[in-house]
Amino acid sequence: MRILVVGGGTGGTIVANNLARRLSGEIRARKVRITLLSASDKHMYQPGLLYVAFGQMTPDQLYRDEASLLEGSIDFHVDPVKKFELDQNKVVTVSGKVHDYDILVIATGSRIVPEDIPGMAKGADTFYTEASAVKMFKRLREIQEGTVAVVVGVPHKCPIAPVELVFGLHDYFKARGIRDKIKIKYHYPIGRIHTIKEVATWAKPEFDRMGIEYETLFNVSEVDAENKVVHSEEGTETQYEMLIAIPPHRGMEVIEQNNLGEGGWIPTDRFKLTMTDHDNVYVLGDTTNLPVSKTGSAAHFEAEVVSENIASIIKIGTPVRDYDGKVYCFIETGHDSATYAMFNYQNPPDLKPPSKPMHWFKMAYNQMYWTSVRGLL
Amino acid sequence: MTIQTETPLNPMATEDLQRLVEFAQLVTAGRDAMSDEIVTRLAGAMSEGLTLLDRLTRNEGLMHLLKVLDRQETQYLLVALSDAIHAASQEIPAAPPATGGLACMMRVARDPGTQEGLRLLSVFGKHLSHSMREQHRHGG
Repeated sequence: MRILVVGGGTGGTIVANNLARRLSGEIRARKVRITLLSASDKHMYQPGLLYVAFGQMTPDQLYRDEASLLEGSIDFHVDPVKKFELDQNKVVTVSGKVHDYDILVIATGSRIVPEDIPGMAKGADTFYTEASAVKMFKRLREIQEGTVAVVVGVPHKCPIAPVELVFGLHDYFKARGIRDKIKIKYHYPIGRIHTIKEVATWAKPEFDRMGIEYETLFNVSEVDAENKVVHSEEGTETQYEMLIAIPPHRGMEVIEQNNLGEGGWIPTDRFKLTMTDHDNVYVLGDTTNLPVSKTGSAAHFEAEVVSENIASIIKIGTPVRDYDGKVYCFIETGHDSATYAMFNYQNPPDLKPPSKPMHWFKMAYNQMYWTSVRGLL
Repeated sequence: MTIQTETPLNPMATEDLQRLVEFAQLVTAGRDAMSDEIVTRLAGAMSEGLTLLDRLTRNEGLMHLLKVLDRQETQYLLVALSDAIHAASQEIPAAPPATGGLACMMRVARDPGTQEGLRLLSVFGKHLSHSMREQHRHGG
């Protein structure tokens, strides 16, 4: 049985490690072989980028060698896939190598596309890459007064990021003693301040308490970097001194180029996590078109279901679990307090009051992540 | 006229309350002493420790070695080995340099200690190659 995992991010790494543990006997007896193909030999802890943008972490703290995170029995190659030939159960990599499989797991993730909005790439700061997070921090250190505008593109990774960013900005400028000289203005594309109703209800009084201005139904149409104005499709505009954007996201180019799903999101069964019309192809993490948040935690919980089902199919011939849509998001409510949101297909989140121990839990998780991707937590 | 009566606190309850206050003070002191940096370092050490522990406990070779080490005869061997290392480390520096040549080789070969040593290495090698063959045949 040949299991091929494409993508070495959170979902791909956990699923490969989890399978290697569950099927260790079969691997030793040479009945199962697990191969992982990744675009990079490094693994990045992506939530850490927001800490880099506020000077709380340095980029080197976000990386580990992918090989060091993998079980020794996994055949790991830095050789991204160029072509998916699902009808023939094979993929072709950039180096030209062909990998046949019996079961395929696609976990290629997503990418930012600020270029989809005219002027955004030039006029806005962001924190979704190492370089842009460092640049944003340098800009934050320079600014002395004026409006810091936050705009949000859709869809985007980590739905909590916009509110965490705003809480972080408030605390950052307060710590610098210039909060009274900075106006923070938050813009959101739908009719409330967050896509998750419960988060919106909880965050609104927090915004009011912190003196954050907000404008809803603001879909960015253009950024005029010369005149420092951001325009909305609804016809409104905001003048800014510094613009921070949560750029819109798409699935990876290779998914779009192979016509596996519109926008790079692969049509996926919400319970089985298999690709539509392909029972031996599993999809997880940002790559799915599921109505769940594009977060590391969703990828983690999906990976557990996928690996348990693949292992049980090999051992007893049938899957044993369904994915229930579980997502768990930490919400940093500033630089020294946090809360969390946990929800699934059936139950909406029930947010608790922020606390310092919860912030420490998040700080601890930033380290425990490496244990988590190894498949231990 | 009304008479106010004071209910004296149960001394046991007062003591319990005092203990609770002390416990709360301890928790508060610990909380105040903590910082993001300390939490990060502790969690980092825990994370690495857990990974190491996982690797050790799932290492079949190491687990088998621990089982073998539990046997009395293996412990005798370890004691003998450490005694031998100690004795050799004392004997070698004191011994005159080897003169070389065929006569020297013959003298060493005639030594019963050399023969015992060779026999030990030969028995060890025989069992080692047998065990390796068996493991490869059964896929580890």
